Amino acid sequence: MNVMLFGPELYYLGAALVFFLLSLKRRVEPKADYQIALALAMGGLVVTGLCLCQQGELFFKAYRVDLFSQIFKFALALAFFFVLTISHNLAHIEERYHAEFYLFLTTTTIGMMMLVSSVELLTIYVSLELSSYSLYILVPLRRGDGIDVEAGIKYLLIGAVSSGVMLFGLSYLFGATGSTYLVDILPKLPQLVASPIGLLGLLLALAGFFFKLSVFPFHFWAPDVYQGAANQVTTFIATASKAAAVALLLRLVALGAGYGYGFAQALVILSIISMTLGNLVAIIQRDFKRLLAYSSIAHAGYFLIGILTMKEAGYIAAIYYALAYLVMNFTVFMVISEVAKDGRDLKIQELAGLWRRSPLLSLSLIVGLFALAGVPPSIGFTGKLLLFTSAMSQGYFWLVLIGAVNGTISLYYYLRVIYASYFTDDPSLGPITVSTPIRVLNYALIAIVLGFGVFPDRIVELAKAAVKTVL
Amino acid sequence: MLISPLVGLIILLLLKEEQKFLIRAVSLVSAGISLALSIYTFVAYDKSLGGLQFVEKYEMVKTFGISYFVGVEGLNAPLLLLTGIVIFTGVLTMWELEVRTKEFFIWILALVTGVFGVFMSYDMFMFFLFYEIAVVPMYILILVWGSTRKEYAAMKLTLYLMAGSGLIIPGILLLYASSGLGTFNMLQLHAVHFSPWVQKVAFVLLFFGFGVLAAVWPLHTWSPVGHVAAPTAVSMLHAGVLMKLGSFAVLRVAMFLCPEGFHYWAQLMALLATTGIVYGVFVGLAQTDLKYVIGYSSVSHMGIVCLGLATGTVDGINGSVFQMFAHGIMTALFFSSVGYIYDRTHTRDIHELGGFSKIMPVASAFFITAALCGAGVPGMASFWAELLVFIATVKVFPVQGLLAIAALVVGALFALRVVQTTFFNEPNPKFVHFEDVSPFLGLPRMMLIATLVFFGIFPQTMVGMIKSAVVPFLQGM
Repeated sequence: MNVMLFGPELYYLGAALVFFLLSLKRRVEPKADYQIALALAMGGLVVTGLCLCQQGELFFKAYRVDLFSQIFKFALALAFFFVLTISHNLAHIEERYHAEFYLFLTTTTIGMMMLVSSVELLTIYVSLELSSYSLYILVPLRRGDGIDVEAGIKYLLIGAVSSGVMLFGLSYLFGATGSTYLVDILPKLPQLVASPIGLLGLLLALAGFFFKLSVFPFHFWAPDVYQGAANQVTTFIATASKAAAVALLLRLVALGAGYGYGFAQALVILSIISMTLGNLVAIIQRDFKRLLAYSSIAHAGYFLIGILTMKEAGYIAAIYYALAYLVMNFTVFMVISEVAKDGRDLKIQELAGLWRRSPLLSLSLIVGLFALAGVPPSIGFTGKLLLFTSAMSQGYFWLVLIGAVNGTISLYYYLRVIYASYFTDDPSLGPITVSTPIRVLNYALIAIVLGFGVFPDRIVELAKAAVKTVL
Repeated sequence: MLISPLVGLIILLLLKEEQKFLIRAVSLVSAGISLALSIYTFVAYDKSLGGLQFVEKYEMVKTFGISYFVGVEGLNAPLLLLTGIVIFTGVLTMWELEVRTKEFFIWILALVTGVFGVFMSYDMFMFFLFYEIAVVPMYILILVWGSTRKEYAAMKLTLYLMAGSGLIIPGILLLYASSGLGTFNMLQLHAVHFSPWVQKVAFVLLFFGFGVLAAVWPLHTWSPVGHVAAPTAVSMLHAGVLMKLGSFAVLRVAMFLCPEGFHYWAQLMALLATTGIVYGVFVGLAQTDLKYVIGYSSVSHMGIVCLGLATGTVDGINGSVFQMFAHGIMTALFFSSVGYIYDRTHTRDIHELGGFSKIMPVASAFFITAALCGAGVPGMASFWAELLVFIATVKVFPVQGLLAIAALVVGALFALRVVQTTFFNEPNPKFVHFEDVSPFLGLPRMMLIATLVFFGIFPQTMVGMIKSAVVPFLQGM
């Protein structure tokens, strides 16, 4: 077995071990632990970068390493690194749990990395649970007044139910085709077109990922968890976990390509409901993180647009948008965790006077929010346009129209946030000091969001090559 | 031309808020370079050759057929010139701004980059990209530096325009998808013969989508409110240039790519345009706030532009593009002089200002010149533009044409009444002590007037330019 094939996973396993040992220490040294964690995250970025071009199969062909999986692993490593850069003060997590925080963050990353490489139903299920269980622990780690526990329980319950539904669906798939390997299931599916068992099985099997992506009707956890979890944990859920879910959905839905009409229509309906519901409810939110939770529900609908086209162009667009979403959503969350230094939940009003308190952060916020709203020249606009283009090519005229109208609705609540940060002012709030590394991170993020928005070619070509390995 | 404001913008990002003079100087220089370049392209464009000149083209996203493809032809050269003039004078007009100077000029330059981009692009993707870049900074510009119900106006404007974009995207993508070519290049798409159904649907989506920005009745309601709320330079840019983006886009994308769709909907276009003209004139008359008066007159003047386009004849489109140019300069002059008056007196009420020409003769003269131009007095650029449009309209849509002319005549009468109350009544004693425009601040207004008069006396320079593009344009339809 070539070690490089399993390199990123092994590396993060080693890192998890280190954090485990750190958590056993009697003396608590959060500063030193943080330095180690940051160094390890940087190393992880390098390792996944080196393994980008690996190809092969492992574990009785249940595990496939290709460009598609490696790109997403790199994205996950990036998200992990990003989250650690803003973890320099984990104000709401008790100091003696810091090492545990790093530990579970690492294990959930491993779970997601395995997830994007799995091509066998049971492996998929096991990796999904590995990543979910770590998050179930991370969410209530926050020191709070009960809101954290509520969020944790909600997350656990809805997660468990969707896992159950997913297992049920997987069993249907297995029953109908007699195999748990995606490669074997694929050719047998078209025969089952007429039977509802296949359609039902596939839709139920997708449930677990709909949960991660917070697609309607598995979205109920999002607002509470986003609000209840510590800012850094929410950031991870909002970035890495979405990317992993999109990756696996792409692999699974490739199965449904033979199904055609009925399957696609089901996804169209879910997409439309998710978009509209998320955007409309977001309008009345006051808490910034809750608002972003609803915006993530709306974005789940956008991801589905690319996935349901079941064509190369749609997949390229979905990959591009998943990567874009990771960066732009992180930009916004970074601002949240920098403004709320003490780890509190940020009300939209508390952004008042941000342009005066920290011009750089307010610029990042504008760039990030406009990108989420799909305003050019940002990466979010280009991604959305690619998604719509691919859907239109498949004749989904109404879906695109509804999607575009939804873009307008979403702009309203993003503008409310920008309004608060740019226009209102509260003299009682002092300036925010931003450390140099975060400053550099800010510039880098703005450059990425704008740069790849105007010159998306490199990413699109990469996504294209990745899609070729899946289809 | 595109690069210059962009470079200025980046330099501004590096400057500190305290270095106010440097900030202004950098903005002025980058605006000046844009102006110089736009004059150069206007003069150096070879009319006898026609077609696209100064072309630049790079592939951007091969998979989706997106490229950076810009060029100049007779249709957009006047509008580039217009943008150059308005931004240069706009920066000069805002010279006295003290609040958050750096941010203001950054957003203004971003907006101008977008405007130049739209006028020059021949790739639908880039066209839309620049279109949005031009539209979005408005929200912040109005919100932070505006006046009079600015929050309401900024939000209304942005949502209206974004709703327009919500129609444009499906329209563009419908054309992209049904062409089967997999390219956003407009010249290639033009060669495709779309089915009538696609053309009708796409045209109506694009027309109403872009029509929002062109303030086509009944989608205009954001426009007077927005003009009133915006700070002076932004009003100038907005009414002067941005609204033209809408009508230009209708011409460049909707009519160019869907000729059959255009013929199908031309009646409706003419009807809406005429309604806009009549409505704008009469509502404008009832206003007492000078900026509202101008805002509604913009609605009616943009109606003329739209009416010209709807005729689909050489004269009509010619006049329409000319009107875009003339109206742009004229409104910029309007807002610039009102802005100056407002900065001093903090009122724009017609009755309160009464007899203002005795206090500030020069500032008032600027406004009166613009008002005359708006009324279509011969010797001004807009006279020729309106003449061309009406000649064409009366031929194609006689009823609408006559209605529009009648409305304008009534409008002219009342415009003179506004001028009379505002400037030639007894002076308001409160304002007697104000000084008149200094030569430096008068300079931008002078430039605008000079442009209006120049093209009023030598309309052929402009008409010939536009015609070199309109004739092949119509043959292609």
